[in-house]
Amino acid sequence: MSDFLLEIKNLSKLFHGLVAIDELNMKVKKGQIYGIIGPNGAGKTTLFNCITGLYTPEKGDIIWEGKKINGTAPYKIAELGILRTFQTIRLFSQMSVAENIMSGRHIKSNQRWYNGIIHTPSMQKDEKTNWLKVGELMEFFELSDYATTPAGDLSYGLQRRIEMARALAAEPKLLILDEPAAGLNENETIKLAQTIRDIRAKGVTILMIEHDMDMVMSLCEYITVINFGAKISEGEPAFVQDDPVVIEAYIGSDEDE
Amino acid sequence: MRQSYKIAILFLIVMGVFPLFSNSAWLAVGTTFLIYSVVAFSQDIILGRAGAFQMGQAVFFGLGAYTTAILNVQFGVPIIYTFIPAIIIPLILAIILAGPVIHLRGDYLLIATIGFNIIFIQVVQNNVFELTGGPNGIFGIDVVKIFGIEFMSQTAVYYMSFILLALTLWIMRNLDASKFGRAMFYINKDDIAAQSMGINVRYYKLYAFALGSAIAGAAGSMFAIQYSAVSPEAFNVVQSIMFFTIVLVGGSASLPGVLIGTFVMFVLPEIFREFATARYLVFGLAMILTMILRPRGIWPVKFGNIPNYLKKDKK
Repeated sequence: MSDFLLEIKNLSKLFHGLVAIDELNMKVKKGQIYGIIGPNGAGKTTLFNCITGLYTPEKGDIIWEGKKINGTAPYKIAELGILRTFQTIRLFSQMSVAENIMSGRHIKSNQRWYNGIIHTPSMQKDEKTNWLKVGELMEFFELSDYATTPAGDLSYGLQRRIEMARALAAEPKLLILDEPAAGLNENETIKLAQTIRDIRAKGVTILMIEHDMDMVMSLCEYITVINFGAKISEGEPAFVQDDPVVIEAYIGSDEDE
Repeated sequence: MRQSYKIAILFLIVMGVFPLFSNSAWLAVGTTFLIYSVVAFSQDIILGRAGAFQMGQAVFFGLGAYTTAILNVQFGVPIIYTFIPAIIIPLILAIILAGPVIHLRGDYLLIATIGFNIIFIQVVQNNVFELTGGPNGIFGIDVVKIFGIEFMSQTAVYYMSFILLALTLWIMRNLDASKFGRAMFYINKDDIAAQSMGINVRYYKLYAFALGSAIAGAAGSMFAIQYSAVSPEAFNVVQSIMFFTIVLVGGSASLPGVLIGTFVMFVLPEIFREFATARYLVFGLAMILTMILRPRGIWPVKFGNIPNYLKKDKK
């Protein structure tokens, strides 16, 4: 097929007759850091929920590696290699940091149905491999000191890192980040940008929603701008930044970023 | 080793020597305590771990008991051969029954499972297949016989129940340290996040139902052996409420919690037996006070069950 990892074709999503996404088209190349921006309520998170199977779009197609995937159950989407983080952090907050990240290893684990009752040597090996991978990720995200701490007890910035570590644990092809810098301070944001570059360097394609314009413009290679569910502009950061339509959308709406 | 496993082993030692120091009446209470603990753990897999509001656990407990009773009394099958069917039948029925309702959330599932329990009691009371003995139940269940040796003494039944509970604790430990046990927790804590991590919510909830019901069935079989009889009222909705409450009062997904819960809800009322029906005050008060003072149970579960080589924390 094409060199596009993910293609969105004429996608529409309605809520009780109201248009949340309107005939949207976009194409994400393998290895790209792709940004989606737009005013609040533009339909960005709805788009992510469609891609990850939480919503079923009314019209159009979501094409993953050349195959149509709309209507696929969320857990199967994850098995395909599309993993995400959430705008409103969704961790297993009573569980420890390590256990949270371990959830990402679920699809990589090859335990059989009876291993929940009886352990076998191969199962124990699988268990160890996965825990070691969790250890590596905790190192990478500087979370090792909090391995047994309940995720919900940690700061916002740390929780965002746990969510990314959890998604990466599943060894995704596409990592979807929903406002990864929200609630972070300036230092944390700079560090996050570097982390995202490091993740891409490992061969992971990144699709992100972000309101922090400095970050988006410096990090993303291609940007789609959405307003009222429809694409109003797309292109490289320099182009989008100077596009009068974009400027108007941001100034026309009450600009809060 | 995790602290809760140490406690479980200590508990097993105490229960192992208990018959040496008790009379016949207390041995009976002890046996039922062991069997109810097994049912409580089976409920805990479904409710405490997978987070499914199953209010009909007595159905699967009863199915196990009735399977042993019917096969033995109506068909003359030796007790020892009724164990496997008493595990398999509840397991299969759990998948068939839970299948269509498993997607229901919280209170909706609770009502549906109460419905199962009411239907189950109706079926056994009305002697539908001429097998269940109606409201009186089935009497005269044989004793366990292995290689011609009869295990008929009260102490023998106690130790059989003891082995069953030890096995159950071993399964709980294995479940906790597997992808299946963890998947249940993930679904319970946030099912949207769990799905997005590739966890098939339906599969793991059904897994919990199947495993929990199989264990409840084994406990039912033992219960039938202990009383050498089965009757409908031992498996009605009130019993289901008790198992449900044991898990929440003791502490969901906590091994010591579930044991304490069973003790508080079952053994304490027996200790206060001389106060006649007023002893159920303990039962009611325990429920109310725990929910107010310790909403996560008397002995809440502690997460962080990870290999030692990952623990680089301060502690």
